[in-house]
Amino acid sequence: MQIERHETDILVLGTGGAGLFAALHAKQTNPDVKITIAAKGLLGKSGCTRMVQGGYNVALADGDSVERHFMDTIVGGKWLPRQDLAWNLCVKAVERVQELENELGCFFDRNTDGSLHQKAFAGQSFDRTVHKGDLTGIEIINRLMEQVWALEFDALEEHRAIELIPAKDGSGISGVLLVDVRTGGYRFVKAKAVLLGTGAGPTMYLYHTPSGDKSCDGLAMALRYGLKLRDMEMVQFHPTGLLGGPNTRMTGTVLEEGLRGAGGHLLNGDGERFMQNYHPNGERATRDIVSRAIYSEMRDGRTTSMGGVYIKMGHLGPEMVAKKFPGMVKRCADCGFDLAGGLVEVVPTAHYMMGGVEFEMDCSTASPGLYAAGEDCGGVHGANRLGGNGVANSTVYGGIAGETMARFVAKEGVLRDPDESIIDQGIARAERPFGQKSGNLNALRENLWQDMWNEVGIMRTADSLAKGQQALSQHRQELVKTGLADGDRAFNLTWHDWLNMDSLLEISSVITTASQLREDSRGAHFREDFPDTGDLDTTKYTQIHLKGDTLETDMVPVEFTIVKPGESLIDDEAGAPPK
Amino acid sequence: MEVRIWRGKAEGAFSSYHVPVRDNQTILDVVTEIQREQEPALAYRFACRVGVCGSCAMTVNGKPRWTCRTHVTRVAHEGVLTIEPLRNLPRIKDLVCDMGDFFQKWQKAGGKHSGSLTRADKPALVDITNPARVTANAAIECINCAICYSACDVVAWDKDYLGPAALNRAWTLVNDERHSEREETFDKSFGEGGCGSCHSQGNCTRHCPVEISPSESIAGLKRAAFSGLPKMDGN
Repeated sequence: MQIERHETDILVLGTGGAGLFAALHAKQTNPDVKITIAAKGLLGKSGCTRMVQGGYNVALADGDSVERHFMDTIVGGKWLPRQDLAWNLCVKAVERVQELENELGCFFDRNTDGSLHQKAFAGQSFDRTVHKGDLTGIEIINRLMEQVWALEFDALEEHRAIELIPAKDGSGISGVLLVDVRTGGYRFVKAKAVLLGTGAGPTMYLYHTPSGDKSCDGLAMALRYGLKLRDMEMVQFHPTGLLGGPNTRMTGTVLEEGLRGAGGHLLNGDGERFMQNYHPNGERATRDIVSRAIYSEMRDGRTTSMGGVYIKMGHLGPEMVAKKFPGMVKRCADCGFDLAGGLVEVVPTAHYMMGGVEFEMDCSTASPGLYAAGEDCGGVHGANRLGGNGVANSTVYGGIAGETMARFVAKEGVLRDPDESIIDQGIARAERPFGQKSGNLNALRENLWQDMWNEVGIMRTADSLAKGQQALSQHRQELVKTGLADGDRAFNLTWHDWLNMDSLLEISSVITTASQLREDSRGAHFREDFPDTGDLDTTKYTQIHLKGDTLETDMVPVEFTIVKPGESLIDDEAGAPPK
Repeated sequence: MEVRIWRGKAEGAFSSYHVPVRDNQTILDVVTEIQREQEPALAYRFACRVGVCGSCAMTVNGKPRWTCRTHVTRVAHEGVLTIEPLRNLPRIKDLVCDMGDFFQKWQKAGGKHSGSLTRADKPALVDITNPARVTANAAIECINCAICYSACDVVAWDKDYLGPAALNRAWTLVNDERHSEREETFDKSFGEGGCGSCHSQGNCTRHCPVEISPSESIAGLKRAAFSGLPKMDGN
């Protein structure tokens, strides 16, 4: 098999907030460093930072503090976050937002006195979410990609990473094997430092929000490479995904949380409000509670014609709704739904993975030369991610990774010779479908979506998880028997659909295994057979890595390095995170 | 309905497919269904599914559109859809084109902010009622999907023309009091292929999915050539 070979100092995988900030900061730290940026889609257009609607949490305003932001993050994360990572997030978010505003020129919304407007977001004790209307991510990525396009670097757009390749002598990472989507050929990029910034994305669920190019490739590669993944049971479901039926990519896409915050009602299939039956805060309860309530209504059969519930905004005045949520209203209108005045069918939808690769404050991982940032990483958010902490995570840690990698390359970076056998394995893995009879990949994807949704979804039990695990192993056997016609490999999306399934199946097993390990309910993880949250003082996190063909598991105690359960960094009651 | 899709690269031909009409169905859904069920090797590009990335822009029945946000009923007249790649960009395969030129021109038009404050400074106080800020705000929400670039006839005949999106971005920078290189950006917007080439045909404005008017932005740049850069003190 022919492989094009290429060398660089720093290889960045992914061009969301993490990848682009890494490239920018690496060049700022060391202008001579040679950078290669690879993206599965177009630079700056794939990934989910761009899709951020709500905004960016940062303690900027008088009366707010890093301590408050940190306490909200820890309590929201149900004491599961790695505290130094969460602290670093809150501290650096201040610098990063100022960089976005001052150096990159983002147009954020303002107060009448000219200061940055910060809005209220669920689960926070202070109005601290900086935003640009209801489409904040576009502004952040557009300004960021302009800066990156102006740098000197090699762009590998539409390049899909398929394997992280270790050094032959085991001393660290050697580089990454990719498929050039446009030609269908293979490319090996040898690099002194590699950033994993591919952005996870729980697209193995029937309903999901992330960008369609996401399929957990980074996590699957990290797992095969031998890195440890933590908190993988923690998949956040957003309560209100658009429901348009099974044949449209619109289904699952997010209608923002602010709609409920502003007073939107949720109605079941009988046209009745139901949230009060589940929580005193009604529709304004947190994402996990609302998602479970909707799921309960669905399971009890009180659904709309397409199987979800309704969101109703019209009682607030259609004009007000259109003015306050122009992005959402226009998107629905384009697609044939009247959000401002009518009823729109919605369903909970898999949104974000709090778990991921274990990493350090400087974004290093257990393998020298391999760094990670953004949604591929675990430990920052714990059991739940606050709305507005996702874009903070990708941009804060992406920038840190860039600085760390540039310093690493200057000081001790070397090009390591690859373990060629892993390159061969990676190619063999990607080549599997071509030797086989054509099969029904679409049915397989539907089955995966259904099984993850039903058995490993919003509410889980030991039985459902066992069923899920069994189904996954059948799907994996099925996938390797599902072939593709080997014709033109250039931009062959069906091949990439196959590779997406491969990554998703691998990570689905990890999610299921982690969910079996955690026999309590907290944050995004809800076990109907263990509905209570366990003892906080002895909180442990799930840790999984691959050994041979087996997932090795561990429960590791969380170290409360900054604050212990029952304590707070905030003195006055007003600063305590909302319950 | 009948769907005609461009297959090939610069050279190619249309192939016809038949797809059932559904209640909730965008053009992207039609293309996806054809790839999944009928033509596994069909090449197209998409990412976000919600109209924030612009990856899925194509020419649909003669007009450039975001396919993820175009409901079939709005465009499928007499039961026929014709789907081609965007105009004015080199073709890679089937419905996918190369957007490299588009982003290079964005840079060439000076499309990059340069601030005098740094990450260590508090954000500047910005009066959002200042006319320059209002002007910049009206044009800033471009997602660089290249719909306007594809719609523009000047781009079609003048390969050097920087195009509506790049010049629109330059106009927002010229109106941004925080931008420390307003003069330089303004000069670049009048450089080779700059706003002098615009014929004010307005196709950009007519097709912009986020209702920005690049024509007006370019007109603003041209006016500034006579009356000077927008004032920042609000007068």
